[in-house]
Amino acid sequence: MSEIVRMVIVLSMIAGSCSAVLTMADQGLAPRIEKQTDLYVRGPALERLFGKPAKEVLNNKVLVEVDGVEIPVFYIKNGKKVSTLAIEAIGKGGYGGDLKLMIGIDLDSGNQTGLEVVSHSETPGLGARIEEVRFRQQWQGLPIDKKVALTANGGVIDAISGATATSKAAVGGTNEALMLLQNYRDAILKSISALEEKS
Amino acid sequence: MSQNLKVILTAGLWKRIPPFRLVLGLCPALAITTSVENGLGMGLALAFVVTMSGGIISSLRNIIPAKVRIASYIVIIATLVSIVEILMKAYFFPLSEQLGIYIPLIVVNCIVLGRAEGFASKNPPLPSMVDGVSIGLGYTLSLTIIGSIREILGAGSWFGIPVFGEFFEPLSFMVSAPGAFVTIGVLLGLQNLFSRWRGEKFVQG
Repeated sequence: MSEIVRMVIVLSMIAGSCSAVLTMADQGLAPRIEKQTDLYVRGPALERLFGKPAKEVLNNKVLVEVDGVEIPVFYIKNGKKVSTLAIEAIGKGGYGGDLKLMIGIDLDSGNQTGLEVVSHSETPGLGARIEEVRFRQQWQGLPIDKKVALTANGGVIDAISGATATSKAAVGGTNEALMLLQNYRDAILKSISALEEKS
Repeated sequence: MSQNLKVILTAGLWKRIPPFRLVLGLCPALAITTSVENGLGMGLALAFVVTMSGGIISSLRNIIPAKVRIASYIVIIATLVSIVEILMKAYFFPLSEQLGIYIPLIVVNCIVLGRAEGFASKNPPLPSMVDGVSIGLGYTLSLTIIGSIREILGAGSWFGIPVFGEFFEPLSFMVSAPGAFVTIGVLLGLQNLFSRWRGEKFVQG
């Protein structure tokens, strides 16, 4: 009996101290990991959207809370005014899971500047063709106050052949980002100016 | 004592160098050695885990009851591996993306568990850590050599720097899976041949 008790106690103590160490490491390094993820995962997409080196734009980041989920929004300024936003959107219902997208929004002209794919797990040769410029450039210049749709649903976006689910997910993600902009535009601009004042 | 430590330290570099002599830990050795950088990174990650787990397990060897020892080892090793993973994500993000699943898989790497069970559970902390360093360095050395051969022949570069002129046609076979088997097989054969020629006694495994 005492041997069983000893086993339980020793194993619990080992597991307990291990979790304590892990929690400490995780808590301590989480901000750094977040920064690295921004630089290497979101960085390339932001570079293409803004046409600026990722290091310059990564600090221009505000988080918008919608229904308990924090959505990152990046921005650049033209003079004193915020000129372009990049809103991260989740394209739900891709063939291999959700797509992580970045939608560029030009506030001056009221047009979209493009769609970028941050990460996806679509089938190579089919859904993965979402990375191709030919598909993504269809977003350039679309108005931000109108929902995008596939040609099959009366819109202007040509779906990737053989990858309807992926195309639908990209369109759905875009529409969510546009909704977010419509509903939270003031909140986004407010938190940007709050961030600017702080720095 | 110091003589003894020296024997332990050098053993991992030739006499029981993984993965050739130990013939453990072959899975990452085959999978990630497409470039030198990956091999070196993987080797160092394993060296850290095997050294620290050697130290911790051998200092707890008289406290851990025999019946739950494997469970305890796994918990300790898993913690160390998670720490390596967090550190890599924080400081070497591109490398951690490259190595991907093979970093978490160190938990079930037979080298780590094998050294814990075969050495650290029977020896005091200092020799166990020396053993971990030696095995870790041996593994790093092996993976760096395998990675070098595969990257030089398969991509014509070393640490990403081109070593041949324009005329070199890379053998893409070397960076795919069969190239890994051939490289490791040839190296293992050469080591055995050399040992035999020197009349060394060795036991594989």
